[in-house]
Amino acid sequence: MTATTLVEPLASVGAASRPSHATIVRRQTLGTAIRSEWVKLRTLRSTWIGLGSTLLILVGFGAIAAAVSTGSVATPDGGGGGGGGGPFGGSDPVSTVLMGANFAVLLIGILGALAGAREYGSRMITATVAAVPRRWQVVIAKATVFTGVALAASVIGILGAFTVGMSVLSGADAATVALTDDGVLRQVLGMAGYITAVGLIGMGLGILLRSVAGSIGAVVAAFMVLPPLAAALLPDSWDPILQYLPSSAASAFTTVLPAGTEVLGAGAGAVVLAAWVLAALGAAVVSITHQDV
Amino acid sequence: MIELRDLTKRYGDTVAVDAISASIRPGVVTGFLGPNGAGKSTTMRAIVGLDRPTSGVALVNGRPYVTAPAPLAEVGALLDAKSVDKGRTARNHLLALGATVGIGPRRVDEVLGTVGLSDVAGKAAGTFSLGMGQRLGIAAALLADPGVLILDEPVNGLDLDGIQWIRALLAELAAEGRTVLLSSHLMSEMELVAEHLLVIGQGRILADTSIDAFIAMSSPGVVVVTSPDAGALASLLTGHDVTLTAPQAGRLEVRGMTADVIGDLAAQHGVRLHGLVAITTSLETAYLELTRESVVYTGTVQHHAHSPATDPSRSAA
Repeated sequence: MTATTLVEPLASVGAASRPSHATIVRRQTLGTAIRSEWVKLRTLRSTWIGLGSTLLILVGFGAIAAAVSTGSVATPDGGGGGGGGGPFGGSDPVSTVLMGANFAVLLIGILGALAGAREYGSRMITATVAAVPRRWQVVIAKATVFTGVALAASVIGILGAFTVGMSVLSGADAATVALTDDGVLRQVLGMAGYITAVGLIGMGLGILLRSVAGSIGAVVAAFMVLPPLAAALLPDSWDPILQYLPSSAASAFTTVLPAGTEVLGAGAGAVVLAAWVLAALGAAVVSITHQDV
Repeated sequence: MIELRDLTKRYGDTVAVDAISASIRPGVVTGFLGPNGAGKSTTMRAIVGLDRPTSGVALVNGRPYVTAPAPLAEVGALLDAKSVDKGRTARNHLLALGATVGIGPRRVDEVLGTVGLSDVAGKAAGTFSLGMGQRLGIAAALLADPGVLILDEPVNGLDLDGIQWIRALLAELAAEGRTVLLSSHLMSEMELVAEHLLVIGQGRILADTSIDAFIAMSSPGVVVVTSPDAGALASLLTGHDVTLTAPQAGRLEVRGMTADVIGDLAAQHGVRLHGLVAITTSLETAYLELTRESVVYTGTVQHHAHSPATDPSRSAA
C-alpha cells in the first residue's frame, strides 16, 4: 500500500472495530449534551475573541467615559465635564462607568446569534441532532453553556469597568459611588444579567432563523434600532406597551435607557426580561423539534 | 437491524419516499442503490431521525432511533461529510460528539488513527480535502463502536487506497455481525462490497434481494452457442423451457438454460459445438434494466395523465 501525500498510511483494517479494549459508552443525558456543547463552545476561536472583546469594551469604555466625564480628556465637540450626557458620559457615576455595556450588549447578542445559528450554516447541526436526538436538550445545553460564559464575562467586565472607572473618577475628584451603596450592586449585576439575557435571546433567534446573518440582523434590530425608533415615532399613549420591550424592561434594574417614559419596577422588569428569554428559547425548542434539519 | 415500515416522506407535493418497507439485516453489507433523487438520502436521514417521516416508522434494533439510550453507540452515520464546523479541529470535533456518550480522548485518538488522520488531528476541519473530510465523517461514525452503520456515498472523494480500505473495513464490520447500510451511485462498487441489495427508484423499493439473485432475476444469462449443427441443437432444446434466437446461421442464443446443461445435452446427442459462451449480466446492466423499466412505467402514467383534453400545459405550449 502506498502512502498518500496528505495523510499517513492507513492503519490496518478493523482497528476501529477490534479495539484492544471495549469501547465503553454511557447513556446520553442532558448532562452529556451540556458537556458536548461546552467542548464545542470552548474549541472555537470566535468564542474567545468575542468574550475578550466584551471584557475590553466594558473596561475600556468605562475608563474612557469616566475620563471624558471628568474633563481630563477633551472631546471634539468642546470638552466633557460634569457628567452631562453626550456620547461619552452618563447622568450619574454608575451609568458613566458602564458606558461600554451598550456595546457589550450588542456583542454578546451577536455572539448568542452565532452560537445558535452557525451550526446550520456549517451543517454541523445534522451531526449534533444525530448525537442528541432528543433535540430540546440541544437548545437547553447550548443555553446553559452560553449563560455560563456570557455571565462570567459580563460580571468580570462590569466589575472591572466599575473598579477602573470609579478610580478614574475619584482621581479627578469627581463624585463616585461604592458597590455597597444603595441599589448600586443591583444595577451592576442587573446589567450583567441583561447582557446575558440578550445573548440568550440572540441564541433563540439564531436557532429559529437558522441563519447567522439573519439572526444578527434581528438582534441589532430588536435592541438597537427598534426601541429608539418606537420611542420617537409612536405617540406617548404607547409608552405603557413599550415598557415591555426587553430593553425597557431591563431599564428597571440597569442603567439602560427606556424606550418610553414609563418604567416597570425592578422585580417586574426582571420577570418581563426573563419571559422574553423563555419565549425566544421556547420558540427555538419548538422549531428544532418540529422541523427537519 | 433496521426495519422500515411503510416509511413515507413528502416535501410539499413531492413524494420523496413512498411507503417503503424493508428489513436491513445484520451480518451483511446491504447496498442501497438508486438514481439521484430516488429517496436514498431521505430514507437514511429518516432512520436517524433527521427527517421526520410523514407516515410510517423506521426502527433501529426494534425501537425508533430517537429513543436510543446512547444514540451514537446505536447507529454510526455518515450522511454529509461536510457537516463539521470549519473552525474546529478534527480532534475537537470528535471530542465534542463523543462527549454525548461519555467517550474521551483515548477512543478519539484511536479512531483518528484508524482512518489515518492522526497527523492532521489538530488542523481545522475547514482545511480538509473532500477525501479527508470523508475520513473524518467515517471516524465520527465509528466513534462509539455502533452495531449499525449507515453510510451515504462513503467513497466520494476517496483515493484508491481509501476506497480499498473502506471496502475491507465495511466487509469486516459486517462479518462481526453489524448492520451495514451503504448507498452508492457506483454500481461496480456495490458489486464488490455488498452482499444484499436494496434498489430504490422514485421513492419505491424496486428490488430487495441478494446480489446474485438480483442479477439472475433481472436478466437471466444468455448462452451463445456456435455449432455447425445449430438446427439439430435447436430442435433438441425446443422441448425444454428455453427461449431461442438465431441471430445468424450456425449460431444460437439460449436463455433459460446454463452452459453446462446445454453442453451435456449436445454431447449426449452427438451435436458438435464450436463455441459455448455464457454471458453473465453485470450488476450495472441488471440495475439499468430495472430502473429503465421504472422509467418506462412512468412514461405510461404520464401518457394517461397528459392526454390533450386534460392537460392545460399542452394547450399553452
